[in-house]
Amino acid sequence: MAGSGSAHLRDDNPDVILRVEDLVVEFPASAGRVVQAVSGVSFDVAEGETLGIVGESGCGKSTTAKAVIQLPKPTSGSVDYQGSEIAKLSAAEMRKVRPDLQMIFQDPISSLNPRRSVREIIGEGLRYWGSRGAWTESRIEEIMEAVGIDPRFAERKPHQFSGGQCQRISIARALVLDPKVIICDEPVSALDVSVQAQILNLLEDMKERYGVTLVFISHDLAVVKNISDRVMVMYLGKLCEIGPSDALFANPAHPYTEALMSAIPGIGSDKGEELAGELPSPIDPPDGCRFHGRCPSATEICSTTEPEMTQVDGEHWVACHHPSVTPVSISSN
Amino acid sequence: MLEVENLAVDFATPAGNLRAVDGVSFTLEPKEAIGIVGESGSGKSVLSRTLIGLLAGNGTRSGTIKIGGRDIDQLTPAEKKHFFGVEVAMVFQDPMTSLNPVKRIDAQLTEAMRYHLGISKDAANKRAIELLDQVRIPSAKERLRQYPHELSGGMRQRVVIAMALACEPKLLIADEPTTALDVTVQQTILNLIDDLRQEQEMSLILITHDLGVAAGRTDKIGVMYAGRLLEVAGSDELFTEMRHPYSEALFKSIPKLEQQSHTRLDPIPGRPPDLLNPPTGCAFAARCRYAQPDCLEAKPPLKGVVDDHQWACFHAVGTPSGDEALAKNTEAGVNATGLSMTASTEDA
Repeated sequence: MAGSGSAHLRDDNPDVILRVEDLVVEFPASAGRVVQAVSGVSFDVAEGETLGIVGESGCGKSTTAKAVIQLPKPTSGSVDYQGSEIAKLSAAEMRKVRPDLQMIFQDPISSLNPRRSVREIIGEGLRYWGSRGAWTESRIEEIMEAVGIDPRFAERKPHQFSGGQCQRISIARALVLDPKVIICDEPVSALDVSVQAQILNLLEDMKERYGVTLVFISHDLAVVKNISDRVMVMYLGKLCEIGPSDALFANPAHPYTEALMSAIPGIGSDKGEELAGELPSPIDPPDGCRFHGRCPSATEICSTTEPEMTQVDGEHWVACHHPSVTPVSISSN
Repeated sequence: MLEVENLAVDFATPAGNLRAVDGVSFTLEPKEAIGIVGESGSGKSVLSRTLIGLLAGNGTRSGTIKIGGRDIDQLTPAEKKHFFGVEVAMVFQDPMTSLNPVKRIDAQLTEAMRYHLGISKDAANKRAIELLDQVRIPSAKERLRQYPHELSGGMRQRVVIAMALACEPKLLIADEPTTALDVTVQQTILNLIDDLRQEQEMSLILITHDLGVAAGRTDKIGVMYAGRLLEVAGSDELFTEMRHPYSEALFKSIPKLEQQSHTRLDPIPGRPPDLLNPPTGCAFAARCRYAQPDCLEAKPPLKGVVDDHQWACFHAVGTPSGDEALAKNTEAGVNATGLSMTASTEDA
């Protein structure tokens, strides 16, 4: 990938709740060309786990996560949720699965209907799913309290709240139907750092309290590391590297992960090695490893052959011909 | 190069007077770079726009701004044109909206040169190619004939920087120049601005919400909150010896790559004050773990034991009075405004 392969999927792990294999998402472009947004990405998420997806604009991280909840349906590939293949479900069957799979978006203000009250926004899913009356009211109150919004403000409209509070309301809306998986697409990117910390802490608390599984998308490595159990790094529609978050950032094996880490402007750090070149077009992605044109370690094989996922250590896998950390599968041979 | 003294900007709004910048003073030497760091609403962008003479119709400014020793209020209109066209240049956050989408790059790049420097079209075009080379845009000649949408975000920001550099300004004001860009692109743009500053001996004001961005590329940093500078220090010194409780709280709230995953973050409780009804005392007191009764009575002035590190706090971090204040509040469980010392969630 970036490379291909699905050797890193944990098929022996009974807790896996979501298993995505060889996901491909393509969009039509002008003149019959095709934007290859996601090209053969495989990953799995275990129950109660947080998977972070990190990468730069255009790497396909949001498209990947949205394709999981069939928005839009992927071009090909399998999405297995709790043992059933959701890409094959009928519209009526899919509707029954939807409450389990919720989403939180980047912009907290535009993702809330400005003309509805907070009670209506949070309660809409409940109403749609046929619950009404006292239980609905108490559920809305319980969730509002859980996310730190005073239930006395249930009649207020989104514009009466700050950005951070609106993001809490979005989280409440996602939680109210008691979902199994929440996809968080850059949920803190539009927030100031002091508020970002509040929302990250809140997501951790909600995960513990309601036992939800999170897929957390961000371009900010430090944010992803903080919240995730496992992290996957994407580049131009391909998976570069996946692993437990501490291990991955302690020993980045893919040159792209290293480049991302050294680009973070830091306190007391030097200017770092700049990544050469520009992101190629997803309409006509490079052959072989998609990163080879910008990679400091690239050799000839990288431009012809796509690297397969190789085990670095335990659950840490990389798709690279020349990983910075010697994989066990090679060193043991 | 630049002296700003007691600068204040007020906006007349339907809800009343809003003071966006409140008594900001700082100086900038030739070739020096200052970072202005703050969160949304801290007044950092209003400050930068005011410095270049851009103030909304409902805004009024007081205090003095001297550029190159000259008070900008004393300039004739012709001199003003020269100052804000040639001597001072600005780079804005969003490269797409600062470029005209229906004009080719060359037309946009040469406009200011032809107007301000009065040079011929050919000379301006030649200079435009040099400028694109300077901002490391390959095949400059072809790029000049393209439209903004044909360029990537990083390329566009380079063009915007080239436009700002066209008349060889003495002072460059960059307002969140990399916020809309990816980290790897951000790195090249920040390095570029840094290199150009050295080459052209410019002064730089770098406005950012990201402490990390300001850290590596500036000589000193000013931390802004509710329109005031709360701390000004050398860029290295700020991080080794933070004095203002807000600087400390801001720094602590950022997740860091060195920390283990799932490290509990330390948010700043509460919210910034309403600038329509600003508090009498220190604007940060209501969220500050060090706040004492005297913080509510008067705004602490920006001063320091040494000139190059100043802070506006009566009970600064790491000082005897700060330690005492923190111990007192910890024992009481609340600060002087009644904020719980364990509070970490936003008040609804």
